[in-house]
Amino acid sequence: MRVECRDLGVKAGETALLEGLSLSFDAPALVGILGPNGAGKSTLLRCLAGYRRPSRGEVLWNGRPLAAWQAGERGAICGYCPQQFEPAWDYSVAEIVALGRDRNLTDARTLDEILRSNGVDPLARRRWSQLSGGERARTMLAATLSTEPPLVLADEPGASLDMRHRLALLERLKAYAAAGRALVIVVMHDLDLALRFCDRLVLLDGGKVTADKPAQEMVTEPAFEAAFQLRLQTHPRRVDRDWVLGLG
Amino acid sequence: MTGRFLLLAAALAAALLFATIAGHDWASPARLASALAGAQDMESRLLLVWRIPRVLAAALVGALLGLGGAIFQGVFRNPLAEPYLLGASGGAAIGATIALLVPLGLPGGPALAALSFLGAWGATWLVLVVSGLHGRPDTAGLLLAGVAVAAMLGALRSFLMLALSDDTVNLQVVLSWTLGGIQTPDLAGLLLLAGLVAAGLLFAIRLAHGLDLLGLGDEQAFAFGLDPARFARRAVLVGAAVVAAAVAFGGLVAFIGLIAPHLARWWIGLRHRALMPASALIGAALVAVCDGIARAVLPPAEIPLGLVTALIGGPFFLLLLARRLRA
Repeated sequence: MRVECRDLGVKAGETALLEGLSLSFDAPALVGILGPNGAGKSTLLRCLAGYRRPSRGEVLWNGRPLAAWQAGERGAICGYCPQQFEPAWDYSVAEIVALGRDRNLTDARTLDEILRSNGVDPLARRRWSQLSGGERARTMLAATLSTEPPLVLADEPGASLDMRHRLALLERLKAYAAAGRALVIVVMHDLDLALRFCDRLVLLDGGKVTADKPAQEMVTEPAFEAAFQLRLQTHPRRVDRDWVLGLG
Repeated sequence: MTGRFLLLAAALAAALLFATIAGHDWASPARLASALAGAQDMESRLLLVWRIPRVLAAALVGALLGLGGAIFQGVFRNPLAEPYLLGASGGAAIGATIALLVPLGLPGGPALAALSFLGAWGATWLVLVVSGLHGRPDTAGLLLAGVAVAAMLGALRSFLMLALSDDTVNLQVVLSWTLGGIQTPDLAGLLLLAGLVAAGLLFAIRLAHGLDLLGLGDEQAFAFGLDPARFARRAVLVGAAVVAAAVAFGGLVAFIGLIAPHLARWWIGLRHRALMPASALIGAALVAVCDGIARAVLPPAEIPLGLVTALIGGPFFLLLLARRLRA
């Protein structure tokens, strides 16, 4: 699986959210997209998933422009997990995972097997309104991975998880990328986890890529400091950053 | 699931039985049996020629209303969306009014069908555009947009009726629509109506998976392989056609499209493949019963069906609205 974007630009009104991004990603890899709030991380992920149409440039999957993909074939090979999810109906966990699984009907596994292999079988009959934030995140990840897609795009999948589940999530995604030779691109905020688990990190700042490196080299990257110092000026958390650096 | 559908079918059978017996002169079950066995006396013939077709027509219109309501709630992703409240029925009624009162030089039946459909479709789009096509319009915005569209269309319909009608007979026909009422159809009409119900169900079932996905929200539906905007256009088309058919045969009947999907969701579940047929069955039973009540309650007069459904459905709607606004 190969995902590319060429000269990708997105504007909302007069504001440029992304300015001329050219990137390419090859499986297998766990790629982290980092950046301060408003850097354009979610916008980039939406473009890569095809949900947001760019104002200029294009996104290609396996060399084929996204515009040429049918909604159905797109869904079959991609697991896109948006940041926000609030269903209109109070679906059960089993129903949500079944709806995710139905996007690729070549999978011979039963729904029970999928629920079990994703560790959400104890939740199967619970309704969305009865789930905790962490259970919701696990449900959505299960639905996203239910078809074992070769491409996974997840927007802060760990945001509502506690530390233990966050670690488990990244371990899971890393193993998924390696074992399935899949391309997993994750928007994340945990710098320490990103440095520890990702193969490659893309740093966005102000709608531009300011660094794009293997994770272990990112620690010494000046742009990495610069990007987050923008936030650190108003919320000085020097200790946190030292701890991050110390981790490498 | 099958057992639950069988119970629904049994409920519908009971409703049909009640509706056939009810009327300004109540028929005994024995009388009904002899009429069905082919007795030639006057009362039996009246039952066969007048009441039974009327009951069947009411049930079929109810099925369309239940189906239309389920599609609307699915597309708008809101359990308070209802074709009547959102102006779709009013749009269909405008189309029908024009077809009836304006000498267009078009053949009556097809023109009425086409104009009703266009009216329902246009009104639905107007509400969709006003309340926000993408994302999920909030309940208050959606209902307000619907109320405004329905009020406009109601005024326009009244104006058309006053301006265009010099023939009191036609005016009577249009008026009876406004209040909702099933006419006794001939055999051809009944078969056409049954065909429309079958076609509506067939098209609706093909929307089932998409409606399930749409309930997850645009972005998640997209993630699971749906093109939400394109799908919504298709679903609105089918929904408008179903509503137009219901209005053409039964006039403006309020709240059935709200109650039936609600009961279906509670009884059968959220997945539209089962929900929509269940909603159609429940709608059929409800309208059959309400039409029976409309015929029986003030003999020898008949009160409009729309009054009965509004009196029963209105409180139901208010209850749901209060619960939702508080949540």
